[in-house]
Amino acid sequence: MQSPVLRLLMRRLGISLIVLIGVSMLIFSIARVIPGDPARIALGPNATTEQVANLRAEMHLDDSLVVQYGHFVADVARGDLGMSLYTNRPVTLDIAQFLPATLELVLFAGVIMVACGLPLGILAARHKGRWQDNLVRLFTLLTVSAPSFVWAVILMLLFAFYLPLFPIAGRISDIYEIERVTGFLTIDTLLSGNLLAFGNALSHLVLPACALALSGIGQAARLTRANMVETYDRPYIEMAQAYGFFPSRIARMYAFKPSLIPSLTIIGLDFAAMLGNAFLVEAVFAWPGLSRYGVAVILRKDLNAIMGTVLVIALTFLIVNIIVDLLIAFLNPRIRHSTRASL
Amino acid sequence: MTKLLEISDLTLSFKELFATTDVLHGISLSIAAGERVALVGESGSGKSVTARIILGLLQETKTAHITGDVVFEGKDISGMVRRDRARLRGTEMSMIFQDPTSSLNPTFTIGRQFIEILRRRDGNRAKADCLLRATEMLDEVSIPNPERVLASYAFQLSGGMNQRVMIAMALANQPKLLLADEPGTALDVSVQAQTLDLMRNMVTDHRTAVLFISHNLGVVREFADRVFVIYRGNIVEDGPTAAIFADPRHAYTRALMSAVPRITGAGLPEVPEVSEAFLAPQISHGDVA
Repeated sequence: MQSPVLRLLMRRLGISLIVLIGVSMLIFSIARVIPGDPARIALGPNATTEQVANLRAEMHLDDSLVVQYGHFVADVARGDLGMSLYTNRPVTLDIAQFLPATLELVLFAGVIMVACGLPLGILAARHKGRWQDNLVRLFTLLTVSAPSFVWAVILMLLFAFYLPLFPIAGRISDIYEIERVTGFLTIDTLLSGNLLAFGNALSHLVLPACALALSGIGQAARLTRANMVETYDRPYIEMAQAYGFFPSRIARMYAFKPSLIPSLTIIGLDFAAMLGNAFLVEAVFAWPGLSRYGVAVILRKDLNAIMGTVLVIALTFLIVNIIVDLLIAFLNPRIRHSTRASL
Repeated sequence: MTKLLEISDLTLSFKELFATTDVLHGISLSIAAGERVALVGESGSGKSVTARIILGLLQETKTAHITGDVVFEGKDISGMVRRDRARLRGTEMSMIFQDPTSSLNPTFTIGRQFIEILRRRDGNRAKADCLLRATEMLDEVSIPNPERVLASYAFQLSGGMNQRVMIAMALANQPKLLLADEPGTALDVSVQAQTLDLMRNMVTDHRTAVLFISHNLGVVREFADRVFVIYRGNIVEDGPTAAIFADPRHAYTRALMSAVPRITGAGLPEVPEVSEAFLAPQISHGDVA
């Protein structure tokens, strides 16, 4: 018999493919329906009607929408997202250049979110009603009540301007020449063995990542706390107490693991939502990432680039979701051992 | 005879913001080593809180105000610091709960939970050794194929099976006192009877003293050497099981006895909610001869 996890993975992949097709159709139709001639925008006001007509033909803009979509899908399948009218380069090349910076930022922020949010939630639940809990609740309420870009500005003011602990903007100081291997500067600097450059890249990463992570920390902590408070009422926690396990062990093991399972889905979504929040945080910190590229191409109505960016973001979203689902299946024996598909 | 557990004049009240609720009004009760004692009463009478005080769990609740002595093996539990109380739990005393399936953690295998419990006694005990001991214990509670059960999660096993697992876990560390709070009431009657039989054999073999908490006099009669009847936080009658069943003297005990459902029918006899007679002073039949 097939293992339930494998079956779950197959199901998830299938659903993701459908979602991806849906997203591509949606973004494609929106791009074609909005007013304004993409060819005219690309060529600028000085181009002749003939030049515009030629470009329209080249971009298949005169065909029916269905045919255009067919062309689009065929191109995407070949890994060709078209030329960006903004940078005059293939969109795939742009994305390859800008995506790693964003992924690095979001991954780092995600690690901060989980590493701070979950322990805070555990702490609050374990000391429910006492000062530790109240402090955590105050902090988390504060962090979720303001969006990331507000935190970006505040953190920048506090820790880069008034108290210059961290660099104010950018990914790395200009003095370092780092050979591009993965596009992740923290990894590339380590690969080149330049520890100073690594420290520099890391210090550039701290503020934007924290700004991006803060509301996620709040969410994760509140969610963990709520689920754990509920778990603490379960008979198996009383049993653990009756067997004299240390309260800290009960919190970290017996109460945390069952509580993590429902929290994880939301944390995964929060993580994926960071991709969207990164748009403004990258703008504040002049972070040369995909989000900044996305904003630039949207403002210039660069259709190929917009569609490429959205597709990549959707794809990342779906991949994160699949990873979270697998993680849940791994943590939740009910899914691992179920004979029926339970998701 | 020296007592394993001696409770004297135990009171418990919960302090809330504007009110104080008295739950136990000075109960005294003792258990000798290897003795099986039942604490009988309806729900809300203070049976379960008594068990939780013996375990030292309620002492950690801020709103609970406890006076009186709880002496276990010559040491007063109430006077202990938190850490010393916790040290006794799972080693010298352990507990079996009402609903076995929901009392086992759903995210760890039975084997893993066994290891954790065995390491309460010896923190460095090797995993293989723990599993060996667990297999032995599961064997003792007549679980067929213990290896498979150890690799399973509670939700994969039947309620009766989980109850056997709980009994095996509770006795794995050779505790001197077992607290059984309405064990198996969540199970169906025939399975409950089977597991109670099993539990009786186990505690007899291991010479474990038991405080058996129940509302079911029929079950108590089968199980206990001595009975304490508790009503609204007061012990109203106590004595050897045979003596109490032969000659129930307190009005509440009689009412409770007439409330045991009989298969032969005639429905449930009526028990008055409150009666002046129920508040009569404690009647003691003396110790087991």
